[in-house]
Amino acid sequence: MNRLEIAINAAVSAGDLLMDHYGKVYGIKNKESLRDVVSEIDELSESKVMSILQESDPGCTVLTEEKGLIGPDSDSRWIVDALDGTVNYIHNIPFFCVSISYWVDNRPSIGAIYNPYSGDIYYAEKGVGCFVNQKRLHLLDVELGNNLTAMAFSGKAYNPSMRSTEFGIFGQLNDLSQGCLRTGSAAMNLSYLSHGKFSLVMGKANKLWDVAAGLLIAEEAGADVKFNMTDKQKHLVDYIAATPSSKKKIYTDIDMSYFDL
Amino acid sequence: MKNKILVYGAGAIGRGYIPWIFPSDRYELSFVENNSELRGLLQKQKEFTTYRTKSGQYVKLICEFKDCFDLGEEDPTDYDGIITAVGARQVYALIDSLSNVDCPIVLFENDSKIPLELSELTGKSNIYFGVPDVITSNTAPAEMLEQDPLSIVTEDGVCFVEDGAVDLGGDISYVSQEELSKQWTAKLYLHNTPHCIAAYLGAMHGKTYLHESMARDSIYSIVEGAMNEMSRTLIQLFDLDKEFVEWYSKKELARFSNVLLYDPVLRVAREPFRKLGLHDRLIGAAQLSLSVGVMPNNLTLGIMSAFLYDEEHDEDFHIKILMNSLEKEKFLKLIINVNPHEALYKLLVKKWDESIDTLKGI
Repeated sequence: MNRLEIAINAAVSAGDLLMDHYGKVYGIKNKESLRDVVSEIDELSESKVMSILQESDPGCTVLTEEKGLIGPDSDSRWIVDALDGTVNYIHNIPFFCVSISYWVDNRPSIGAIYNPYSGDIYYAEKGVGCFVNQKRLHLLDVELGNNLTAMAFSGKAYNPSMRSTEFGIFGQLNDLSQGCLRTGSAAMNLSYLSHGKFSLVMGKANKLWDVAAGLLIAEEAGADVKFNMTDKQKHLVDYIAATPSSKKKIYTDIDMSYFDL
Repeated sequence: MKNKILVYGAGAIGRGYIPWIFPSDRYELSFVENNSELRGLLQKQKEFTTYRTKSGQYVKLICEFKDCFDLGEEDPTDYDGIITAVGARQVYALIDSLSNVDCPIVLFENDSKIPLELSELTGKSNIYFGVPDVITSNTAPAEMLEQDPLSIVTEDGVCFVEDGAVDLGGDISYVSQEELSKQWTAKLYLHNTPHCIAAYLGAMHGKTYLHESMARDSIYSIVEGAMNEMSRTLIQLFDLDKEFVEWYSKKELARFSNVLLYDPVLRVAREPFRKLGLHDRLIGAAQLSLSVGVMPNNLTLGIMSAFLYDEEHDEDFHIKILMNSLEKEKFLKLIINVNPHEALYKLLVKKWDESIDTLKGI
């Protein structure tokens, strides 16, 4: 298997494991905020992904949500979120996924996102294209007012003094579009953007593993994608991914200086 | 005064077959072609050569046409009839162009659902389905291409169109929807099904042209077997006349083996996911055969050969990525959308490894 095939294989295998346990209660630990929880299944899923990556790509470097950096320090690395949308998952809300990507020199080159509940596999390779299952995705330039949007804030970067700013932008985006959603899965937000279900997705201080695959998937579908690693130690990313007309609209109508882009 | 016909797509059917059914003494053809290289050559030459195979020989026709436009440059309201032959996936790009046209629009797009969908999308009732029952290569032998790089070869086929489009004229059989449905069913399952199987099997064995593929006994046997399975199925399912089906089947095997056609394997095998659609020529065919108790042994081999199609320049090149990365059960369920409770799913899973071994050995 090449790396894209490995990514798809690992995402689907871990996704199957998530579905085997879906609807069952697990031990839940809070991490850095009330919403930022980790369940046993996060760790089980991550172990599944790790075993596939280490078997298929021996000696590789992997950055994971639960265990941090594994393997030699290298700028070419797998970035794994074995369950993005844990809160949704533990509340039996079927909007979660496995996100696996491969980055080279701090840029994404491969991405695979699998929502095991819907059976959608989103995958992309830099310069090759973006697909969902058998279908190639080409994003149409749908205007902001004609579609949904999504925004993701990070619990870990919670800054009380900026909370009103965040919700202010959220409200503006909500009014400029057919609605702004806070879905609980940044990876799925970006996948839905690539599929034309959203016209704009943005996030402040999201964890890299949440968006590492989705940024490439959105870009390869034709979205205008901009991201910035704002804190490399904490793996924080600000980003916007949108149809060209939607991006233009919000830069005209919203003060975007809160985002470090 | 000649009737003006605008043809979307100057590929195999557009360039190879349409000039034969719209003779130049009565019709003036123009083309819309979005392949810039092909369009440039057409605009430069203002004519091209199409050869028809008849009784083992080539008959030559030089087609002079009026214009060749890029998509969007044309004014479709300026014509007496419109034909599309751009491909089932590409035809949706023509929605804007066709929305203001009142003359008959005939779609030669190998999918009977598309005219209905386009009628809904455009709000027009002048869109009709057409079945050009013909094999047309998108190229020609080297000696012909030396004389004219736009040369193309076609069979001496027949063409059926819904009778509502009769004002379009041309050497076309205008038939009722019922008759067209019969012709389409025969074409889809007795022509398209074994035709693409011959192509996938040929691709596995490095063949360039269909007739080369059919010359291999083991491939011919599978194609003939698939044809027989579909013949038995159609006779039971649609009450098609047995003699008609047998005549059609024999004719098809001879067509696939036609050494004059130079029909490229890559053309016939292209876009395997489309051909693997639930109601299309492979999965759909096998489902039908199972529904009437005909065991689709050769069809299963054909389906597997499509799963194994490995062509990096094909629009559906990612079938290989998915085959390599997913277990067979996941591939069938998530990618092909076959329900795990269905007989075909169980059959394909059961015969998966055996089929691959068989295909490697042919």
